[in-house]
Amino acid sequence: MTEPASASRLQLIENLDLKAAASLRSELLSLRHMPLDIDASNVQRLGGLCLQVLMSAQATWAADTIPFAISSPSPAFQEALSLFGAEDLQPYLQQG
Amino acid sequence: MDPLEAIKVTFFQECEEQLSELESGLLAMEQGETDSETVNAVFRAVHSIKGGAGAFSLEPLVRFAHVFETTLDDVRAGKLAPDNNVVKVMLRAADVLADHVRAARDGGVVEEARSQELAAALEALNGEAPLAPIASEDLDDMPGLEFIPLTVSDDDGFGDDFGFTPLSAGIIDLEPEGPALRRWTVQLRPKNALYAKANETGLLLRELKRLGDIQVSIDPAELPRLAELEPEQAYLAWTVVLTTDRSQSDIQEVFEFVDGDCDLTITADDVPSSLPTLDEANIDEPFDVMALIQQAQADVQAAPAAAIMAEILAAPAPAPVFAASAPSIPAPLAATAAAAGVAPDAAHGAAAQQATIRVDLDRVDRLIDLVGELVINQAMLAQRVTESGVPRSSNIAMGLDDLEHLTREIQDSVMAIRAQPVKSVFQRMPRLVREVAAMTGKQVRLVTEGEGTEVDKTVIERLTDPITHMIRNAIDHGLERPEVRVAAGKGPEGTVRLSAAHRSGRIVIEVSDDGKGIDRPRVRQIAIDKGLIEVDSNLSDEDVDNLIFMPGFSTASSVSDISGRGVGMDVVKRSIQGLGGRIAITSRPGQGSTFTLSLPLTLAVLDGMVVSVCDHTLVAPLTAIIESLQPKAQDVRAIGPDAYVIAIRDTYTPLIDVGAMLGYRTTPLDPTKGVALLVEGEGGARAALMVDAIQGQRQVVIKSLEANYRQVEGIAAATILGDGRVALILDVDNVVAARRREKARSDAKLAAAG
Repeated sequence: MTEPASASRLQLIENLDLKAAASLRSELLSLRHMPLDIDASNVQRLGGLCLQVLMSAQATWAADTIPFAISSPSPAFQEALSLFGAEDLQPYLQQG
Repeated sequence: MDPLEAIKVTFFQECEEQLSELESGLLAMEQGETDSETVNAVFRAVHSIKGGAGAFSLEPLVRFAHVFETTLDDVRAGKLAPDNNVVKVMLRAADVLADHVRAARDGGVVEEARSQELAAALEALNGEAPLAPIASEDLDDMPGLEFIPLTVSDDDGFGDDFGFTPLSAGIIDLEPEGPALRRWTVQLRPKNALYAKANETGLLLRELKRLGDIQVSIDPAELPRLAELEPEQAYLAWTVVLTTDRSQSDIQEVFEFVDGDCDLTITADDVPSSLPTLDEANIDEPFDVMALIQQAQADVQAAPAAAIMAEILAAPAPAPVFAASAPSIPAPLAATAAAAGVAPDAAHGAAAQQATIRVDLDRVDRLIDLVGELVINQAMLAQRVTESGVPRSSNIAMGLDDLEHLTREIQDSVMAIRAQPVKSVFQRMPRLVREVAAMTGKQVRLVTEGEGTEVDKTVIERLTDPITHMIRNAIDHGLERPEVRVAAGKGPEGTVRLSAAHRSGRIVIEVSDDGKGIDRPRVRQIAIDKGLIEVDSNLSDEDVDNLIFMPGFSTASSVSDISGRGVGMDVVKRSIQGLGGRIAITSRPGQGSTFTLSLPLTLAVLDGMVVSVCDHTLVAPLTAIIESLQPKAQDVRAIGPDAYVIAIRDTYTPLIDVGAMLGYRTTPLDPTKGVALLVEGEGGARAALMVDAIQGQRQVVIKSLEANYRQVEGIAAATILGDGRVALILDVDNVVAARRREKARSDAKLAAAG
């Protein structure tokens, strides 16, 4: 998948727990209608609420038919996705 | 609760007791008390836990306890000197052991690396190579555990492993080929509350994964688009297919902490044919135990013993059948053991033990309620007798005096049943301090005071979390690193002080540190950044300090292990308020901060001064009153339209018109016509409360307003007087503190009027 050069990048913070959910949502909302590349390389912990936000964002971007990608996921992030059974997000993972 | 579960519950209760024995024993050893009695007590504690855990096949716990025990055995035998280093390792091992116990009870998991590290450290002490999985004979030498008269049969392959396992092992025996893998479908829909309480679906899934193979699928049907999404609302649901050899109750245990905070269904996909008569939901039904016991009866010669056993098992009250330790064996069991001609050690130990019983809390609660009614009734009777004009010297009046005396004694004794020293909470803190200190690289000394202060059990249970949080905060945010402390001219070791005391009929708990104090400019900046206050707000130092209690305020930029579950001081404040308590903070830059919790001693009785205010009867806690006096006109000075001070022995003290404050009257009471009660609130703040008249001193039963109505400013609780009327009990601290707010309000009123 090639991403347009203009894709906005969003660096996820280390700890995506319940306290991070609200700010993650507003950050993502502020980037709406733009191709998005989420950098998950720093993530150490992913909680259920932030997972919801990410899944909702993915569905929102898909509905807007705008490119959406999650790049260089950290091992912890990948592990969390598979633990949660979050298959919807798996295809958007881009290694490297 | 079925008998086996009840036994398990008792086992864990006893474990807690053993753990606290262990900790205090080790702390004594750290202080140099290494006599054989202390060492033996420590050894026994670990030994008992291991024994009981063996009976329930709690493998990781048994394994760790075994390593620990081996080291302790060396100390006991004099092969290993319990120097400071050794004791330090053991203290940490005790922490891990406690983790194991809790993990076994609550279905959590102990960090494997930490457990192994400690096990290795222990083994290094006794100079042993790391142990292979424990062979059965390692576990056989347990004097307190040789209690196997009811062994079902010798060929079950279980009974001998852990001394006493026939009950748990026997049930598994009903399945001829041992535990089989089964498939369970767990449907989980978290509610908002689950996240709000800082629980996490991910952790639940991880726990499930620990039980066996899982396949997780997510149901996003209710997940809205990002614009409509409420970040703290739970939308997702999960379906987990779990393949495991564990029982349904093991699976259920995973969700113990989130009970009620999520919709949960656990269904078995297939029911093995070997269990046709068993309700799959309750493999441990009493029925099976009874069947087992009947089978046992056939094998065991001591039939009466088995009958007693059967009775114990059938009784609803938890009976500690596991009999892990000699000292804790209850008498009936010891008798059983003696009758069966085994474990004379155990019987001997029982005789030396002080007798205690475990009683259902509901029964105690009911008793307390009834005694409260009795006290009120007695007061009413006394009042009627007085009203009927019976002379004080008559037999009736004298009999009533005796009755009053007796009632008071009954009440004291009943309250003593439920009251518990805060020690049980304080005791957990040294460990917390050790851990947080290690994580933050700070040197911390914990000083505790007033551990014997008693407070009602219901309060104690809800104290742990707030205190834990405040201590974490004190170390994490309050204390400086050693080098910073030295640079500031302090010793490298910081002190955290935790104290409890009774004051004004409340329990006051203080957590203080001698660290850097609250960084007010930073707190202020954060509050501005987070939009909690306006940039140009004019705040006093105290106001700034109190900002940390605001929802949404958290000074920690990252939620670490130390700040724990990621809840701020606002949660602490809310949980204290939920108990009808208050929290206050005082801080001095460079010298440290003190958090003061003031909590009601719920259900307690109170010695009060009964006063009248505008035809209302109020009660002021006697403990808060220093003296009462009749103000003279020349002593009272007005310092504003509604505010007065009174000179008492050359000191001006604020004069508070209780009637006006509670809204009973609009025109202030003429100070010379009333009585002033000089009271002292928390922190020594004094005020004089103006009331119309004093009726007398009386003991009153506190009836919670919070439970029956709601919290009322200035009122701590209510009571029922002898004449059947309700009287409110003044919250002296709150009244003293409220004066300032009251003043602000009247200023505002005046401004509006002008």
